[in-house]
Amino acid sequence: MASADGGAYSYSLTVFSPSGKLVQIEHALAAVSQGTTSLGIKASNGIVIATEKKSSSILVDDSMIERVAVICPNIGIVYSGMGPDFRVLVARARKSAQAYWKIYGEYPPTRVLTQELANIMQQATHSGGIRPFGVSLLVAGWDVNRGSTLYQVDPSGSYWAWKASAIGKNMVNAKTFLEKRYNDDISLEDAIHTALLTLKEGFEGQMTEKTIEIGVVTVPTEEDLEGWSISSANTRPKPTFRKLTEEEVRDYLAL
Amino acid sequence: MAAAATVYNPVGFDFSNQIRNNFLADRGIPLPKATSTGTTIVGCLFKDGIVLGADTRATEGEIVADKNCEKIHYITESIRCCGAGTAADTEFTTAMISSNMELHALSTGRKPRVVTAMTMLKQYLFRYQGHVGAALVLGGVDATGPHLFTIHPHGSTDKLPYVTMGSGSLAAMAVFEAQWKPSMTREEALDLVNAAISAGIFNDLGSGSNVDACVITATKTDMLRNFVKPNERVTKERTYGFRRGTTAFTKEEIRNLVVHEEIIGVRDDAMDVDGS
Amino acid sequence: MSIMEYNGGSVVAMVGKGCVAIASDLRLGNQALGISSNFQKIFPITDHIYLGLPGLATDVTTLKEQFRYRVNMYTIKEEREIEPEAFAHLVSSTLYERRFGPFFIEPVMAGLTKKPSGEYKPFIAASDLIGCLNFAKDFVVAGTASSKLFGVAEGLWEPGLEPEDLFETISQTLLNAVDRDAYSGWGAVVHVM
Repeated sequence: MASADGGAYSYSLTVFSPSGKLVQIEHALAAVSQGTTSLGIKASNGIVIATEKKSSSILVDDSMIERVAVICPNIGIVYSGMGPDFRVLVARARKSAQAYWKIYGEYPPTRVLTQELANIMQQATHSGGIRPFGVSLLVAGWDVNRGSTLYQVDPSGSYWAWKASAIGKNMVNAKTFLEKRYNDDISLEDAIHTALLTLKEGFEGQMTEKTIEIGVVTVPTEEDLEGWSISSANTRPKPTFRKLTEEEVRDYLAL
Repeated sequence: MAAAATVYNPVGFDFSNQIRNNFLADRGIPLPKATSTGTTIVGCLFKDGIVLGADTRATEGEIVADKNCEKIHYITESIRCCGAGTAADTEFTTAMISSNMELHALSTGRKPRVVTAMTMLKQYLFRYQGHVGAALVLGGVDATGPHLFTIHPHGSTDKLPYVTMGSGSLAAMAVFEAQWKPSMTREEALDLVNAAISAGIFNDLGSGSNVDACVITATKTDMLRNFVKPNERVTKERTYGFRRGTTAFTKEEIRNLVVHEEIIGVRDDAMDVDGS
Repeated sequence: MSIMEYNGGSVVAMVGKGCVAIASDLRLGNQALGISSNFQKIFPITDHIYLGLPGLATDVTTLKEQFRYRVNMYTIKEEREIEPEAFAHLVSSTLYERRFGPFFIEPVMAGLTKKPSGEYKPFIAASDLIGCLNFAKDFVVAGTASSKLFGVAEGLWEPGLEPEDLFETISQTLLNAVDRDAYSGWGAVVHVM
């Protein structure tokens, strides 16, 4: 196994190969590109993140599978790759968001939370005894400072901001598709449809509300913003990220 | 690992000033008073849910530190908690539980229950053996119906249809004992809570100012901030505005925050590297 | 004797119409003995936030440095300046961290918050020594003259003061209060934003 491509250098992930590669990180990316396709599109008035939710057998109770996760009221993430690794990252991200809230009385901006996740993932690439995370993430959120932003984080711990991106099995095709479809003033509604259309390319089987998961970021109105007084302990800002219900997904698929 | 990568505070308290502070205390120098909420807080069960009530006075010894503070704290959308005792403790304890309840809700995918909040609170307070000085009235509605608890600073709890806490608890309880009845309407319950808090405001020196109320039902939570304001201050008949120039000063400094910057090129060939 | 009286000092902050002011005395004492008449207790945090730290002088210095560090880390990490509300919470959580071994400081903050519409909204807050925040709409006071400051401010403050009038009101409030406090005085400084 070890000599398949990385030779002796694939045993320890903390050892560079002579060509300057950390082979384990590339293997982790390979794990991601085997995962189901996920994508995110930033619209003029929000963001959509979507993924296909495939179970290995019809006997699996798919109501238990969650691939789009709420981190805090303003941020949500989706992944491609290894489910268990994602679960760990979700737990870490939620804790980090709450720790931030306890200090500053507000939830972290998307960029700060993304950095936090990227740090956790980076540390796994050079710590002893552990392996890199086998997931890529799409982080979508809204904050006062930068508005709505979409980030991608890879197993190496590198992260970028995107207008639209795709990860997982079909990412190359999906990205080409998105490049053709994307324009800067796309509305959230159109973006959701584009997201579904993109997923449809290379989707095996039937696209239903059971096999699709969607999360959306909506931009709060001026009124909402004026109304949110941080100093009042009893008014919590309305969430800007939410997952679409099965009914909503069904309605979008029907159109 | 995460702590090294962030500037987040580590969990738990920092005791590094204790040696110094104990030394000062031994020399007979007492700790300055922390803000406390003398407080009247109440909760009351009615037909469709829970009504919580609180006064709005915060005290520092004999001084009123805040005339309109908020003592009904947010736990979740349908669970709220009134706090009496050391103000900082009630503030931070409820914030911590609110945060834990949100994590709990996210990981279970369900709306959290009132008993969950109550258990978290009592275990936390018991761990600190009464040194975290929070006396709480916890109320809310969940899948199992409406619930109302009191939690004492040492971690003991009660589950009752009507409860009071704080220095005005006796005044408020007198009202409840005289007037509470089972399955009241929303209006009846709100009136009763108002009467109980008012009893505290007017008869207990640790309580004062306005009445805050919060009505929680299975479908909706209404936070009625400053529900009644029986102690509104009248506008002053005359003003004490000083004529400009009354206060003499020795020095004035004006900081202009708008920075105007002009960039002047010193030479044309900016990339003169060899310096010939 | 209270530990607050060891070095003495007082701070007051007030809200005006589209402006805020924060003022302090300049005394540093060793109990009844005056040591310095130019001891800084108010520190700029950003262009739009000023922080007053009345209390034990050693803790004034320690906390000033600690907040400088934490705010600088915030600015670098978030690539933006901290807003007054977030800073108030930072002060509060920093103090509560030491709930069972507190700093003998009662911070007072004054600042301007940028609203989504672009205009600036006045913001003041005070905290007790273990981080209980008090967001007042009119004025906040702290220090050895706090009881006197409460009384004078209650009488002199009125809503809608223009910057020039706010300067007079806060100055007269501070000056008259510290005149009746043995542990505060020896000069004063006023900041109007």
